[in-house]
Amino acid sequence: MALKGLDIFKLTPKTNCKECGSPTCMAFAMKVAQGAVEISKCPHMSEEALATLSEATAPPMKTIKVGTGEAEYTLGGETVLYRHEKTFVSKTRYAAAISCCDENMDAKLAELKKVDYERIGERMHVEMLYLTYCGNCDAAGYAAFVKKVMEEVPDKTIVLDCTNVEAAKAALDVCKDKKPILDGADASNYEEMSKLATEAGVVLGVRGADINELYDTTAAVEKLGNKNLVLNVGAASIKDAFATTVQIRRAALKDTNRTFGYPSIVNAAALAPGDSRMQAALASLFTVKYGSIVVMEGMSYAQALPLYGLRQNVFTDPQKPMKVEPGIYPLNGGDENSVCLTTVDFALTYFVVSGELERSGVPCNLIISDAGGLSVLTAWAAGKLSSTSVSKFIQENVEDKIKCRKLIIPGKVAVLKGDIEAKLPGWEVIVAPNEAVQLVKFLKDMQANGEI
Amino acid sequence: MTLFDVVFSGNDAVYGLTEKAIDDAIAANGADKAVAFPDTAYSLPCYYAVTGTKVTNLGELKEALGVVKSLMTREKRLHDAFMSGIATALCAEFIEVLKYMDGAAPYAAPEAGHLPDAAIRELGVPLVTGDIPGVAVILGAAPTAEEGVELVKSYQGQGILVTLVGGIIDQCVEKGLKMGANVRVIPLGKDVTAVIHAVSVAVRAALIFGNIQPGDAAGLMKYTMERVPAFVNAFAPLNDVIVACGAGAIALGFPVITNEETFRVPKSLIVQKDVSKFNATSLEARDIKLKITKIDIPVAFASAFEGEIIRRGDMQVEFDGSRVDCFELVLSKDATEVEDHKIELIGPDIDEMPEGSKQSIAYIVEVAGKSMQSDFESVFERKFHSYLNCVEGMMHTGQRDMIRIRISKETYQAGFRLKHIGEVLYARVKSEFAAVVDKCQVKIITDPAQCTELRHSLAIPMFDKRDERLTTLTDEGVDVYYSCIMCQAFSPSHVCVVTPERLGLCGAVSWLDAKATNELDPQGPCQVITKERVIDERIGEYEDVNEAVKKFSQGALEDVSLYSLIEKPMTSCGCFECICGIEPLSNGVCIANREYAGMTPIGMTFSELASMTGGGVQTPGFMGHGKHFISSKKFMKAEGGVARIVWMPKDLKEQVAERLNATAKELYGIDNFTDMIGDETIAEDPETLLEFLTEKGHPALGMEPMM
Amino acid sequence: MPFTGKSGKFNAAIRTVEIGTGDKAVKLGGENVMPLYSFDAPIENAPKIGVLITDLGMENEVAGIKDYYAGASSFAEIAKKAEEMPGADFVVLRFEGADPNGEDRSIEDCVAIAKEVGDAITAPLVIEGCKNVEKDAELFTKVAEALQGKNVLIMSAREENYKAVAAAAGLAYGQKVGAESAVDINLAKQLNVLIGQLGVDPANVVMNVGSAAAGYGFEYVVSTMDRVKAAALSQGDVQLQMPIITPVADEAWNVKEAMASEADMPEWGSQEERGIDMEIETAAAVLASGSNAVILKHPASVATISKLINELV
Repeated sequence: MALKGLDIFKLTPKTNCKECGSPTCMAFAMKVAQGAVEISKCPHMSEEALATLSEATAPPMKTIKVGTGEAEYTLGGETVLYRHEKTFVSKTRYAAAISCCDENMDAKLAELKKVDYERIGERMHVEMLYLTYCGNCDAAGYAAFVKKVMEEVPDKTIVLDCTNVEAAKAALDVCKDKKPILDGADASNYEEMSKLATEAGVVLGVRGADINELYDTTAAVEKLGNKNLVLNVGAASIKDAFATTVQIRRAALKDTNRTFGYPSIVNAAALAPGDSRMQAALASLFTVKYGSIVVMEGMSYAQALPLYGLRQNVFTDPQKPMKVEPGIYPLNGGDENSVCLTTVDFALTYFVVSGELERSGVPCNLIISDAGGLSVLTAWAAGKLSSTSVSKFIQENVEDKIKCRKLIIPGKVAVLKGDIEAKLPGWEVIVAPNEAVQLVKFLKDMQANGEI
Repeated sequence: MTLFDVVFSGNDAVYGLTEKAIDDAIAANGADKAVAFPDTAYSLPCYYAVTGTKVTNLGELKEALGVVKSLMTREKRLHDAFMSGIATALCAEFIEVLKYMDGAAPYAAPEAGHLPDAAIRELGVPLVTGDIPGVAVILGAAPTAEEGVELVKSYQGQGILVTLVGGIIDQCVEKGLKMGANVRVIPLGKDVTAVIHAVSVAVRAALIFGNIQPGDAAGLMKYTMERVPAFVNAFAPLNDVIVACGAGAIALGFPVITNEETFRVPKSLIVQKDVSKFNATSLEARDIKLKITKIDIPVAFASAFEGEIIRRGDMQVEFDGSRVDCFELVLSKDATEVEDHKIELIGPDIDEMPEGSKQSIAYIVEVAGKSMQSDFESVFERKFHSYLNCVEGMMHTGQRDMIRIRISKETYQAGFRLKHIGEVLYARVKSEFAAVVDKCQVKIITDPAQCTELRHSLAIPMFDKRDERLTTLTDEGVDVYYSCIMCQAFSPSHVCVVTPERLGLCGAVSWLDAKATNELDPQGPCQVITKERVIDERIGEYEDVNEAVKKFSQGALEDVSLYSLIEKPMTSCGCFECICGIEPLSNGVCIANREYAGMTPIGMTFSELASMTGGGVQTPGFMGHGKHFISSKKFMKAEGGVARIVWMPKDLKEQVAERLNATAKELYGIDNFTDMIGDETIAEDPETLLEFLTEKGHPALGMEPMM
Repeated sequence: MPFTGKSGKFNAAIRTVEIGTGDKAVKLGGENVMPLYSFDAPIENAPKIGVLITDLGMENEVAGIKDYYAGASSFAEIAKKAEEMPGADFVVLRFEGADPNGEDRSIEDCVAIAKEVGDAITAPLVIEGCKNVEKDAELFTKVAEALQGKNVLIMSAREENYKAVAAAAGLAYGQKVGAESAVDINLAKQLNVLIGQLGVDPANVVMNVGSAAAGYGFEYVVSTMDRVKAAALSQGDVQLQMPIITPVADEAWNVKEAMASEADMPEWGSQEERGIDMEIETAAAVLASGSNAVILKHPASVATISKLINELV
């Protein structure tokens, strides 16, 4: 069990000197307990206290940073096996596999650029490239390939899939500044590979024929002093890859086995070569269960749309719901004369409601005001969805853009109708049914009756 | 003659007839002759259910009669009477099955006789769901055909399944009543033995729906008693045989209501001379509650109208508790004092009130029920606001004797009158609180003098009594606490332990609310927690509370104290109204409420505090709680109580001042304690706060160190 | 020194519930490990796949589904094709058209279709309703009666209508009961308790703890299933040990990603492919979270998920 804030507080100097950046020692201690701040931020900790704390507060799984600039990503750092226990912190990242002698390389790279869109404020694209050394090209050829790819698509993080030390060295020479991952250490080459990675200052990927070899090799690399690692779970079979991925995560978090306390790489492209649907299934499986990087042969919109949505869901903090931006969302070709409906900014509510509205086919404007990311009833109970919040938003953001003066409010807050009408002169407030699924019929009926 | 003599004699008579009938049948057909009811997998269902033995031929039937004889003991004890009743019923079944020999069809329309298994399955589902709320077995001929048919129709109108035996069938035919399974009126047969076909339905329901094993007579009787809501209406004159059959019915848990002056057995054999009251008496005796499906008012009732505002110009009439005497009140009464669905208006109706005028109104909802408790009165009462607002064209605000109601002109013109308020309250209370309310009546008073009188003599003393109860309700004074897991959807491992002095941390669930929630929805979010095995009185730790918390958090939380902030404090979900946390410099705690956005002397804002306190994780030194808890004598009692409070936002301080000061006065003899507590206008950092506390001589400074 | 991982095998297990009769009967549940963790202990019964057909026929389906069922015109023929689909373990018949707000198909017609389908196939049959609780209660009662002896699973006994559905399916007509709740462990448990109180044997109950398409609040599905399995296995909570079935197709094909036409979203590419991947990825995610059976409809999804299950278990 992790240390409680009060235990940490007792070891602080209790001077409220603020040098750590927190206003009080108590606030600092609570942040350390949460893992939000490192204990070393306090310059006045005694050696003894530091020793006690750094062991106890060290995370069971390392947080590994790769890439640079906008393409810098954090992997690992998880503290729980199930998201409801606290939250997952580092999203699964997806990589596209390209081999150095891939004939369709240009087409593949062009295809890759297409899937790049936004969903609830998050950019969705393939973040990484998994650049495989074919084994036949010479080292310079591999390096040239890496260079070409980097020029072609500069905004991706590079993962070098290469167990050949020469080739790896050549490739690192051209890309090490972009903080790639060198996924290439195995039982036979780990010393040289680890040296290469350390010298280049990049993360090393370790692999093994099975989970035992992976474990031994990782332990050996750690012994060399290299703890900047990711673990490749192998491509022997889907069953093995899944078993290894789950077992290393479980060993790290549940049994505090620090040797396995690193992020994972799952090569779905190698597990189901040529089978894009199976790769989609695997990407989904390993997004739910403990894949830090999932490699696929490519990423079509069909694969991406559910996958990125799934990732966004699974990596939501259970206590901080996803929010959509407040604003006017026209649906089904809605314009300034179309009826307005309003609901909260809780992403799930937005998706469910907008989905039903789209299904109705009735042109309308969905108006989302800031309700703290809560669902309708919760927001209402917390005072975040009120006649004031709705009417103020409409006066400030809607009235000058929309001419229609009919506003449909959620059935669950029918109680707001009178107050909203009072605060929004000229508007007719209509109460919708309680459940979103009933909206289709409700709107169609209104349309049929000529009410909208 | 005693009732025992009558039952025994009736039983003997039927036994004699049965023995002769079987003997005659064997003489004519031989012992191997097959006997069976058509379309059933349960042989002779009653005999099979009671004994576990299937009868297939006359020889076996004769053997079975021997088993029946063994039930017919003759000591004058209740058990013997019941067993003789069962024996009588089994004899009836034997006599009836003989009628079906050789594939005969002894009954002709409209009489049904034996019902096939398929019919039982079909009737069984609505019986289980309560869509058929009861089963009436009407026996004999009513005093007049009119009365008989009226009774049948009254049950039919309530969705109750009616079976008819004897003279009542001809009475229904005479009056042209439509009968048949589809209209839920099933004539069985004219011989009294045909009553077994009704018993057979109940018995097979137990076998099919209750998983009762044949031969488990005790289990069978328990099932029919608890799950088959049947009763018997037996018309005078009664003979010994009918009384003996009645004993069988009573043994299965079915009360018998008769209009003959005969023996009375409380709750089982009931004399009701007035046939027009058979219905009400039967329903009460069998504890049958009818589902209320619609509210009988001339305007719509829907949550869509909840937010409607009725402006002065649109209103027909207004009742205003701030100007004249008004109140709303729920009272629990004895069952004999309440006539279900009685709605009484005392004083003028809306027609007699000038348009746009201000009037007095008082409505008293009187309820009775076996599980009703006076503690629920206020829980029901708080719902009136939402009930009345759901009426189209009606606006209700306030509560108790500070209510205001407006009724719109349109609603008045649609025919809405004051009795409809009664209809709404009756229907909603009966349906929402069906678990505890058996009967409900509503009195609506508009006579100004009576409103004034009752407000002062009845309502205000009642409200005072309730407030008194709330303030005197202590953790020590009750036997159980309640869990509340309403928030588990987003805080999976959090469990609130709600006690009289510590309401749920959301501030919305008091001990009384939790108690009512548990009573109304026994499988719901609030469960009883006992507190019999104390571990540590000082911090309020109990073995039973720990077990409950572990169970309801699915093992995430092992132990919890009720009164400590430092040792095993209660967890928080995320909906807490306030958070308190240790401020070490002043040796006390700061409290921040959700509305407060600024900094606290702890060095964290409310939202920073919330992020480390929520999620059902124990965070010693920090705890979420409701506003009301601040003035509780149990507030961090283990650490010294409210004297530890050194800081809270000004608004919050003002909200809780009166009660908190009273608590501090009582516990420590300190006057105006809140004047010693800092707020954001005094300090937002610990050093300034300490200066202030030192200046004021705050008691926390002199207390034991918290850590 | 080789890796010595601790086994995640539990003393408690998920209950095994059998649906259907004869050689093709299917067993759901039975495992004593977390979902798909076959490395901890052998998984008693691999997750199963149901193929969805509806009373509305093929008119609104995508080309790949229409093609698969080409030539099948009666419900019997469609059902036979469904049970023959490679990877299918059982057939699911959904009465979408029974919805009073839609086609409002009569109960009699529904029963006739159910009988036609039930008589045509030997694989187990699962019945889904129209989501209208009143209509479903009546529909399920009549269908359960009509299909006596076939040991079908009647989905959707919900809080509002569980009494009728569970009494009919679980008590009167000897079928299996599907207890449906909306992504909340406590609601799921409460419903199981209530159904148990009616007298239905827990061994005859399967849960649908709620579903969502990937991206549509799927975190609630993951967390609900994680918690249900943890409670069932590590806490030994008998009220949550029922196997889970998840109707993926209903959700997956109903979201914008699967429904938007190519004309509306040209950059998204083939609408059918989007539907297939939505179905596959949602199914893989619910299996990873703990479903013992998924309901799918596209032959390509069924093939892929079937292969995935075979690889993993």
